[in-house]
This record gives sequence, C-alpha cells and structure tokens, in this order.
Amino acid sequence: MPPDPAITVAGRPFRRPRWKLLLAQNVGLALAVVMLILSLVIYCVIYVAAQHRLPGNFELTSTVNTTMPLAFASIAQTIVVLTRGIDLSVGGVVDLSNAVAAVKLGDSLGSEILWSLVVLVIGATCGLVNGLLVTLGRLQPILVTLATLSIYQGIAIRVLPQPGGQIPQNYTDAFASITGPWSLLYVIIVGVLWWAFRRSSLGVGVFAIGNDETAASANGVAVRRARILAYVLGGVFSAISGLFLAASATAGDATTGNTYTLTSIVAAVLGGVSLFGGRGNGVGAILGAFISTMIVNILFFAHINPLYQSFYEGLFLVLAVVLVGSVGRLMRKAM
Amino acid sequence: MTSTPLQTSHPADLTPPPSGASTPQSSSGIRRFLASAERRRVLYAFAAAIALFAIGEIVRPGFGSFAGIRAVLVVASFVGLVAAGQFFVILIGGIDLSVPWVLNAAAILVVTSSLGRNAWAVPAGLLTLAMGTMIGALNGVGVGVAVLGVPAVVMTLAMNGILEGLTGGLTCSSCAAYAPPVIQAAVHHPFFGIPAVLFFWAIVIAVVSVVLSLTTFGRATYAIGSNPRASFLAGLPVRAITIGLYALSGFFSALAGITLVGFGGQAALGMGDPYLFQSIAAVVIGGVYILGGRGHYIGVVAGSISLVALVSVLMAVDMPEYGRNIIYGVVILVLLLLYGREAPEA
Amino acid sequence: MTDAGHAALAGAPFIEGIGLSRAYGGVRALHNASLAVLPGEVHALVGENGAGKSTLIKVLGGRVRPDSGEIRLRGTSVSFSGPEAAHRVGVQTVFQELTLLPSLTVAENLFLSREPRSRLTHLIDRRAMGRRAEELLTGMGIDHIDPLAAVEDISLSERQLVEIVRAISHEPDILFLDEPTSSLVEREVVWLFEQIRRLRARGTAMVFTSHRWNEVRSIADRITVFRNGGDVGTFTDISEDDAVSLMTGRHVETLYPPVPALTASAPIALETHHLASAHLHDVSLQLHAGEILGVGGLAGHGHRALFFTLFGADRATSGTITVAGKQVSIRSPHDAMKRGVGIALVPEDRKTEGLLLRMSVRDNMTLAILRGRLSRMGFLRRAEEKRLSSDLSRQLRIKTAGPHIAVGSLSGGNQQKVLLGRWLLAEPRILLLYDVTRGVDVSTKAEIYALIHRLAAEGKAILFYSSDAEELAHLTHRVLVMREGRIAAALEGNAITAEAIVSAAVRDTSPASGRGTHAA
Ligand SMILES: Nc1ncnc2c1ncn2[C@@H]1O[C@H](COP(=O)(O)OP(=O)(O)O)[C@@H](O)[C@H]1O
Ligand SMILES: [Mg+2]
Repeated sequence: MPPDPAITVAGRPFRRPRWKLLLAQNVGLALAVVMLILSLVIYCVIYVAAQHRLPGNFELTSTVNTTMPLAFASIAQTIVVLTRGIDLSVGGVVDLSNAVAAVKLGDSLGSEILWSLVVLVIGATCGLVNGLLVTLGRLQPILVTLATLSIYQGIAIRVLPQPGGQIPQNYTDAFASITGPWSLLYVIIVGVLWWAFRRSSLGVGVFAIGNDETAASANGVAVRRARILAYVLGGVFSAISGLFLAASATAGDATTGNTYTLTSIVAAVLGGVSLFGGRGNGVGAILGAFISTMIVNILFFAHINPLYQSFYEGLFLVLAVVLVGSVGRLMRKAM
Repeated sequence: MTSTPLQTSHPADLTPPPSGASTPQSSSGIRRFLASAERRRVLYAFAAAIALFAIGEIVRPGFGSFAGIRAVLVVASFVGLVAAGQFFVILIGGIDLSVPWVLNAAAILVVTSSLGRNAWAVPAGLLTLAMGTMIGALNGVGVGVAVLGVPAVVMTLAMNGILEGLTGGLTCSSCAAYAPPVIQAAVHHPFFGIPAVLFFWAIVIAVVSVVLSLTTFGRATYAIGSNPRASFLAGLPVRAITIGLYALSGFFSALAGITLVGFGGQAALGMGDPYLFQSIAAVVIGGVYILGGRGHYIGVVAGSISLVALVSVLMAVDMPEYGRNIIYGVVILVLLLLYGREAPEA
Repeated sequence: MTDAGHAALAGAPFIEGIGLSRAYGGVRALHNASLAVLPGEVHALVGENGAGKSTLIKVLGGRVRPDSGEIRLRGTSVSFSGPEAAHRVGVQTVFQELTLLPSLTVAENLFLSREPRSRLTHLIDRRAMGRRAEELLTGMGIDHIDPLAAVEDISLSERQLVEIVRAISHEPDILFLDEPTSSLVEREVVWLFEQIRRLRARGTAMVFTSHRWNEVRSIADRITVFRNGGDVGTFTDISEDDAVSLMTGRHVETLYPPVPALTASAPIALETHHLASAHLHDVSLQLHAGEILGVGGLAGHGHRALFFTLFGADRATSGTITVAGKQVSIRSPHDAMKRGVGIALVPEDRKTEGLLLRMSVRDNMTLAILRGRLSRMGFLRRAEEKRLSSDLSRQLRIKTAGPHIAVGSLSGGNQQKVLLGRWLLAEPRILLLYDVTRGVDVSTKAEIYALIHRLAAEGKAILFYSSDAEELAHLTHRVLVMREGRIAAALEGNAITAEAIVSAAVRDTSPASGRGTHAA
C-alpha cells in the first residue's frame, strides 16, 4: 500500500514505554521468576543454617532430576490449558509411558531409541483420542479427560501389574544422571522448542483459541486442527514426563504418575498460566515446576514434619494465585 | 462472580437451542416430562442402573436379588451423599476437588473427638459437620470473592492439600480408631430389612430436591448457574450463595465421612480418594450440565446407583482392576456421547 | 449527492445477496433481504437497531450461514464456509463486535494467519512482523498505537482503528464496515473517510452502516434502508425525514408520542455529586421524579460506567449519591434495590447481562423479586408467582406459548418486554434504562416508548441512555451528552436535536486525549 502521509490521525502524542507493555504481557512469568529466586534464596539460607555449608552439586542434581518429570507434565498441561481446556489424563499418560518403558526398554541403544519413540507415539495417540473427543464429540475437556484418565491408568496397570521392570543404567545416565544437573540441558531444549512453538501457526492458533474461538476462526485460524494438535502435543509431553520418571526411578510403577494430573496444574498456575486460557508461557510452567520442588526442599530442611508437606503446598498455592492476580491487576491499572 | 476454567465459549452467533422446557406443551403429562432433554437423561441413568442389575443377575445369580440390590444401594448412598455436595457446586459451574480430604478429615475427626464413646457421638458428629461446612465455606470465599478470584479448580485443589497435610500431621496414631457404636448402628441398623443409612439417604434426596425446586435459594442457584452476571444484576447475592453452595459441599463430604466410618467402623488415611472422581462421574451420568444451571438431584442418585452397580458387576465377574478402570472410563464416555447427541454442548 | 463516484455506478454488482434469511431461535434477524453492491461505490446501510444490518453483513462476510437465499460474487453463486473463505475471494469485513484477540499484540493481530516467516526456519519472524506492523500503521497515518502493545491494553477506539487497518491491509475488492464510527471521535472519523475515498478511487466496493445521518450523507453513493430484517429500498438520494420514516415504518410524529409535561415542583429523586469510578469522572447530575433524563454520546465514553455505578454494579471511587434527599451507599445491585433506594437497571445486553436464556419466561420475570415479595420464609410463593407473571404477560402483551417456555426462544421484542417486566415487578422509584430499544422491532419500540411515558407520568424518575440520538431527542425532557467519562454538554427544550447530540459527542477538544476511554 502506498503510504500517504497526508492523511493522519493526530493521535495521542506519546506511547507507553515498551518495557511496561512487555511486563504487563508477562506478569505471570515475571512473578514466577521472582518466586523461584526467592525460594532459592530461602532454601540456601535454611540449608546453610542446618548444614553449615552451601548446597552443592548433589543437591542441585537431585533437585533437577526430581523436577524434570513434573516440568514436562506441566508443559503438557499448559498447552491444553492455553486452549481453555484442562487435561486430567496427564497422570494416566505418565503412568502408561512409565509402565511401557519399564517393561520394554532393553539394554541395547537400538531398543532404547525404538521404545522411547514408541512411548512418544503412545502419548500422541492418547492425546489424539482426547482431542478428537473434545472437538468432534463436542464434549467438555474436563469430562473427556476424566474418563480417559481412568482408561489410560487401566491400560498402564495391565502393562505393568506390579511395580518393577528395569530401566537400563545408560538410560538413567542420559536422562537423570546423578553426576550433575545435566538434565538442565533438556530444559534449555524445551525453552527453545517453546520459542519455536510460539512462532508457529499452531502456537498462534492455540493462543487464539484460548482468547476467543469465534474471533480466531473469523481470522482464518484452523480452530479444530489447532485444538486437536494441542491435545496431541499434551500427550507427547506427558509421555516424555513418564520417560523421565522411569529414568530417575530406575524402575517402573503404573501408579506413581497419578499425582502428576494435579501437580501439573499447580506448576502451570504457579508459572503464571491462566486457567481461563489464552495466557501463559511454557517456560513459566517449567519455572512453576521448579518452584514446587523448591518448596518441598525448603520444608524438608526447615524440619517440617513431612506429613504437613501438602498443607504448606496448598497454602502456598492459594497465596501465590491471589498474589499473582492482584499484582497483575495493579500493573494494568498503573499503566 | 463464580467461574471455572471449565467454561468454554460458545460461538457468538449460536443461540442456545431452546431446551426441552421450551417445547410446546403437549397434552400427555408423560410426554411433556420426557420432552425435556434433562429429564430424559435422568431416565437413561435409571435405565442404565436397571440394565446393570439385570446383567449382574445373569453373570452372577443373586446379584439382582433383594440382598444384592440392597448391598449396591448402601454403597451407592455414600457416593450419593458426596455427589450431593459436588452437584450443588457444579450447578453453578464450579467444582469441588477438596472432597477426598474433607471426607477423610471428617471421618478421622468424628472418631477421635468422640473417643469411640457413645456419649460423645452427637457432639462429635456436630463438630465434624461444622468443620466440613466451614472448610467448604472457605472454598466458597476463595472462589466467590471477586478480588481473590481464585479459579475453583485451584482453590479446592489447594484446600484438599491443606487438609491432607493437617490430617496427616495432626492425627495421633495411638488414639482410639473406632467409631462410636451408635454411629455404626445408625448406618447399619435395619428397619424392615433395610439398613438405616438408606432411609437417611431417602431423607436427603427429599430435602435436596425440595430445597432446589421449592425455595428461593434453589431458584437463585439455578439462576446463578445459568447466568451469574445477569443474576448479580438482578440483585441476587451471588457471592453469598456461592459461599453457601461450597459450604454445602463441605457439609455433605463430612456427612459422607461420618456415615463411612459408621459403615466400616474405622477411619483410614486415604479413604476419601475414590470419592472425588466417583462424585463427579455420578453427577455427570445423572445428566447434570457440567457448565451449570441445569440438573436434578434425582438424576445424581440414579448416576450414583448405576456407577456402583457397574463396579459391582465388574467385581462379580472378577474383572481385574485394569479392566474395571478401562470399562469405567469407556462407559462414561459412551454415556456422554449419548447425552451429547441430544444437546451438542453437554 | 456526494463528491465523486457517480461514474462508477455503472456495471454489474460485485457482490449481491438475494432473498437472504436467517433466524436465531425465535428471532427473525434477516428475512428475505437483498443487497447489490457495485464496483467502486460506497453503499450505506441504514436502519434501526435490530433491523438486521449486522446480520446481513455477517452473512455476506462469511461469518454466518443464511438459512435460505443466495450470495452472488461477480455474478456467480457462492457459499462461504467461513470468513477466511470470503477473505480468499477479496471480501473483508470489520464486524460490529470486534474480532481482535485480546492477549495477543497489535502486530500479531494485524498479521494473524499471514505472518511474515523467517526464510531459514519458516517460523514466524516476530521482529519483521513488528516492523511491518509499524510501517502499516504509520503508512496509514496512525503513529500512536504501539504494534507491540497487547490489544487488551489499548483503548476501544484504538482497537477499532486496528481492526479497520487490518481489513484494509488485505487490499480487498469489497470491504464491509459495520458501525465503524460508533466509537470514533471526529478526527478519527475524518481519517476513516479519507481512507474510504482513497479505496473508492481504486475501485474498491464498500458497505458501511452508521446511525449518524451526516456521515451517511457525506460519503455514501447509494443508501439501502433496512427494516425488520429486510431491505425496503435503495436510493441515490433520499432526505433524512424520508429515510427515517422508511426505517421505522411510520412517521416520526406517530412513532414518538408527545413527551409528558413535567411538574415544575417535582422533587429531586436522584442526585450525584462529583461521582467517579474507573471510567467515570466528576459527574454531578439531578434527576427529578417524573422526569426522563436522556444520556447520549459515543460508545465507550462512560455512560455504561455511569449507569452501572449508580446501580452498584461498578464501584464508585469518589463522590456521593443522594436518593430522595438522603445520601445512600450503594455497593451492590442489592443495595440499589433496597426499599429506601429503589433503583432498577435494565442493561443493554439482554443475552449476557439480562436474561437467563434457558430458564422460563416466568423464572426470568420474577428474578428481581425472588427474595422479596416472592419469598415466604425462604420458600417460593408459587401461586403468587403464577399470578404476577401472567398479569404481567397480559399487561405488557408478551407473546409466548406459555410462561414455562424458555425465554431464549422468544423474539427480541418480547425478550425485552420480559426484562422490563422484571423490573416493573420490583416497583422501583428510579429506572435506569440502558439502550432498551436496541434490537427491538418498531411496534414493540412504540409500546416501550408509551410505557416509559406512562411510568414518568406516574412519577418515576427515568435515566435513559440510547445509542440512537433520534430517540433521545424525541423521548426525553433533558439530555446530558458524555465524552471521555464526563458530562460534556447538557441540552434542554428546543436545543435537544439529534444533530446537537451528535455534534456535542464527537467534538473533540484535546488532541492528547484517548486515554480514559477504554471499553467500559
Ligand atoms: N447471535 C444472535 N443470537 C440471537 N439473536 C440475534 C443474534 N444476532 C442478532 N440477533 C437478533 O437479530 C436481530 C437483528 O440484529 P442485527 O443484525 O444485529 O441488527 P442491526 O445490526 O441492524 O442493529 C436483533 O433482534 C437481534 O437481537
Ligand atoms: Mg448492528
């Protein structure tokens, strides 16, 4: 279009500073960073008080390794929540992939690669079933995934009726090495993947659906496709979570994954993902997972009776959500 | 304003298809009753229960006998009590994920505070119900107060954790662990061969149905579930009713906890866990609209019975756990798809 | 009648709708409507609120499928599976309800589903997208909107501009603009008309709707008048009076009954002093018993905030409200409805703020008195409810198949009557009526006017907002025009004309304005 400077809207002469705009768009992420830093500081202080030295490589490694499954589960949850849905079957898919890995992974590299891929395909299929039921069956996500949770858990128990199985040592070394926090590498990879997702048609579509489905389709977003793919991606990330869980536990259990349904929601919320859809960041969800772990660590070193652990977690969750909500509102008001 | 992340947007230019209530009045009362999709779902849920009893009788003779049905109904009554609370919050488009540990905490509280003695059974029971109601009300405050604006999923999930921690941390392992005999009797004692708990459930069914259909509170509940904003602008105390409904959910979970210890004699950690998904499933099978505004408790009752009947049939054929899980999920999906055919937005 | 373009009027229509119909539940939004748009013309669509203009535009823009009828594009019959199907053949639409996605940035919205891609990775190049958005906006003379701002952080009029820029940037052959000026101030309207002239010179066909006659007159080559879901004629030249009587189906004098006389000594029913809330600044007004006080102005300029603050649905940040001489504290609609206060609000959007669409007509009618008259110790007085609702149906002549029918299946006019009836049952002293004739057929409109006058004659105080300046001019004793959350002008007696209201509303004084006009 030929610019025609003769015609202008003599607009408001100023623009708001960019940093303010960007901050307002990423309040959740920013607060997650703040919460993570705070929790790290508190952890270090308590640790030093108890152990008279700074936490070292061992502490960092175990923190990272225990967080990885949750980090992936929370990414899975985030992608679905962004479409204004919810995925209660995350725990079921984690169980299933954990069970398959424990039963099938052989000692050879070829077997490991092959079965890891099979597990990812299983996760994708689980997600596809969810997505098809939600889009084509026009059912509420919470109901669909409640039902499929039960189904996926059932299949997982069928695959691995008793805890057991065997995860090859080199698999554990690759995904949950105890020599150092090498798994942070995967966090970086996921960060890059998220960056790409946000710049793909699918990513834009997912955010658009979560904002306003009708408006999205009016602007040429392929709504159904984006929604189904979001569930598929959710299934894949849940499956990855199950693999990391198997790697760090060095054996399989078809029920330990159950908790990830709820903890993935918690991590996503702590990471600033809105349960009302259309707002959030996968990196935030990973930070949320780390915050969750740090809280457990803090409680441990503060000598809190472990039985009280969920009490403090629950309390913290409510306070964090209220805080994030009010800070966000204040920010917008101040703009 | 209450809201949950469960709400989906409807395309703007889709007017809600007129619900059954709007079909022209027909001469036959029964036909008019059936004209409502909602009521048809209630009938489906009852039909499913009856079919399950029939199947049960075929695979394991005696399943459909008086004793067999009675056994299923007793178990269904616990699900039905929890589901009553869940139903109240789902009617306004909310959800209560704190059911498991409210129930569990109640079971433990009633046992420990009564020390297993008959004399203290009544005050302990009242204390427990008050505890459940108060916790539910706290959920309601988090969800219903706009400045807090905590999504129902988050609020009740957190509350579940809080109670789990408190219950686990405060429970003394050496305390008396048996429910007072009177509470056990109040559940088991038979009248005309029917255990007392079923009479009790019948009273609950009547009271809940009357409250919802004949009181202003009930009407306001449906109104808020249909359109919270319009209800607020019509002067309804949306916040107070939201808090009240969550309080009712807490009350019913606590009530179920008491009857469950009365039934089993003992409280155990983790005893509430199965009731979360069962209560939601019973509500949904009973034809209640998950986004709020429509549904009847009698449907939830039917949902509870068919759910328990299903599990019992599967147990009767010695179906292993994995098979029960799978069939359970598939049945819910099939029912949802069936319901969905009638009103696509179910 | 306009500056240019008559030459272009020759030739076959670009796009043509023939005998289009579309119903929503019981509401016939479009009924056998036809429209032919010629290349290079600016075609105005005029008609009352609810006449079906937006529905026609949605149908032609591919957003809504017609129940029956045909769409022809350059002579061949087409059917759009969605708006993007229309985009592909050069049809762009700025819908009345904006379709921007609030949490995404302006740039993302401008380039949605045609984002610039990085050559290497084929991923969206956000930097290039921001740059091109900036170019696009400044190229069209808009320099005050930051392309990196989230749409939820810009004002209503800025959103409207972005939506228009997006549509134009597709270089369409046909552009539909549904009430594009309703939230724009004068300089922005001037800007828009410059754009329209530029596009016309290039041969683009445009259809726009507006309620402001001077806009229609200044830019339209042809005018099609809509009434009750159908077209009633297309003109190259028509006087305002003729157009209005075609739009309403009757003459202005008969549509609007004479305003009842004001008693000189009527007491003040409602008074505010320096009332302020999030989108409202320093509003002081007096409303007398028996008076109909009109409120006018552009969308998004604080009327809604005024009404909702008076009713306690928005929180007042400062100032006072006095009812019948006593200062009152109104913190919720429930407070506003209390016995000593007696305020009722009929909101603009029946579907989202007024009615419980799936519940019955009766349930809807009695909602506001549920906890008052209708409650006996918490139980519903069912017999009383039946009596009141059937009396009301008769009194307001509400056409339904019965009180147990879902209110969503009624026609727009009957729905509105149910809503008004709800508040009549509450017996308020002060009625806040917010655009209550929106989407209502003409005969119902006349009934509502008569009802309002009767209520005023009975001594009720009425605050009346309408997006239709004509209606304000004919129905009220006084009119307050609001701009940017303040009362910008007060018109009385003979000074109340539609033109005066519009010109007071669009006059834009400070070039540095634009803040404080966020969507209420
Ligand atoms: N999505 C919808 N659902 C129900 N009724 C609608 C819908 N859209 C429009 N209507 C009704 O159709 C009629 C015509 O509306 P509309 O086309 O918006 O009129 P206009 O744009 O001329 O003001 C009105 O009575 C309105 O209430
Ligand atoms: Mg319109």
